Amino acid sequence: MHEFSMAQGILNAVLETAEENDANKVTDIVIQIGKLAMLNPEQLTFMLNVLIEDTIAENANIVIEDIDVEIKCYNCDYEGIGDVDDSDHYLPMILCPKCESHRVNVLNGKDVTIKNISIEKEDEDDE
Amino acid sequence: MHKIADVVMARNIMKANNKLADKNQAKFDESDVFCVDFVGAIGSGKTYLIEKIIDTVDEKIGVLAGDIISDLDAGRIESHNVPVVGLNTGRECHLDAHLVSHGLKDMPLDDIDYLFVENVGNLICPVDFALGSHMRIVVVSVTEGDDTVEKHPYIFQDADLVVINKIDLAEAVGASVDKMVADAHKHNPDVKVITSSLKQGKGLEEIISAIEEFKNNM
Repeated sequence: MHEFSMAQGILNAVLETAEENDANKVTDIVIQIGKLAMLNPEQLTFMLNVLIEDTIAENANIVIEDIDVEIKCYNCDYEGIGDVDDSDHYLPMILCPKCESHRVNVLNGKDVTIKNISIEKEDEDDE
Repeated sequence: MHKIADVVMARNIMKANNKLADKNQAKFDESDVFCVDFVGAIGSGKTYLIEKIIDTVDEKIGVLAGDIISDLDAGRIESHNVPVVGLNTGRECHLDAHLVSHGLKDMPLDDIDYLFVENVGNLICPVDFALGSHMRIVVVSVTEGDDTVEKHPYIFQDADLVVINKIDLAEAVGASVDKMVADAHKHNPDVKVITSSLKQGKGLEEIISAIEEFKNNM
């Protein structure tokens, strides 16, 4: 349950970037979550919605994008997107799509990244 | 008039922790210290395992003992006359590289051969937070239920050694040790799995050799 500290870290980074870009409002926050990160997207969104109150990101649209898991198979050397097997797990297991081995090296899919934000700011021409 | 702009951030929230973890490991390497991170549920036997290893080997060991708010684990380990730094996470469910780096300030790295880091009792959250250790040991006990390994794939996928503890109680709680071993290998086919009953001293020597072996193969 570290969604709260993650949400706080995300919001701090968003507000920092918004300020650097002279924003007076943040309208969208797009976050990418690897399918293997131990974060629950719904909880994260909930926390963010609480934390953005009374900031310039209040009412921002929070978009969560899933990021596929990239693997290299130790068994057959396949490199690419891994198959997600969630048949007997809420947590997905990763296997090689070519040989179905679980002996894979996860290259990508554990990270949480703020992809981009949309902001509103005063148009310089109007000033 | 409002201008709407998209600002590309591409800010990886995990990266800050990973960077700090790399820094921690560089520090260990500089002082020729081999760092082992112990994770497992509350009551799996992490602290006891650390105490047993300290009492058995000749090498100089330092310990960072993570706990939510107490210093009970740190106190237990301190009684074995090794340098101990307690790390309190406050509310957090895991140690992170930043907390570890703080603990290192009070740890005499040049006087020790091994640094043991005991994580907060949790099989879920520590997965996301590298600490900079060279080896991660996951300790699980049969009393947690023999489906515990099956239910927590990621922590076992990242494990360098799995210890299945309290096997003397398996029959009493109706747990299948074989199932737990098989599940660990399903998640992590090449990982070494040791079954132990630390209270009876069973498996301890094997665990110590496995740490030694992992260190030598690095």
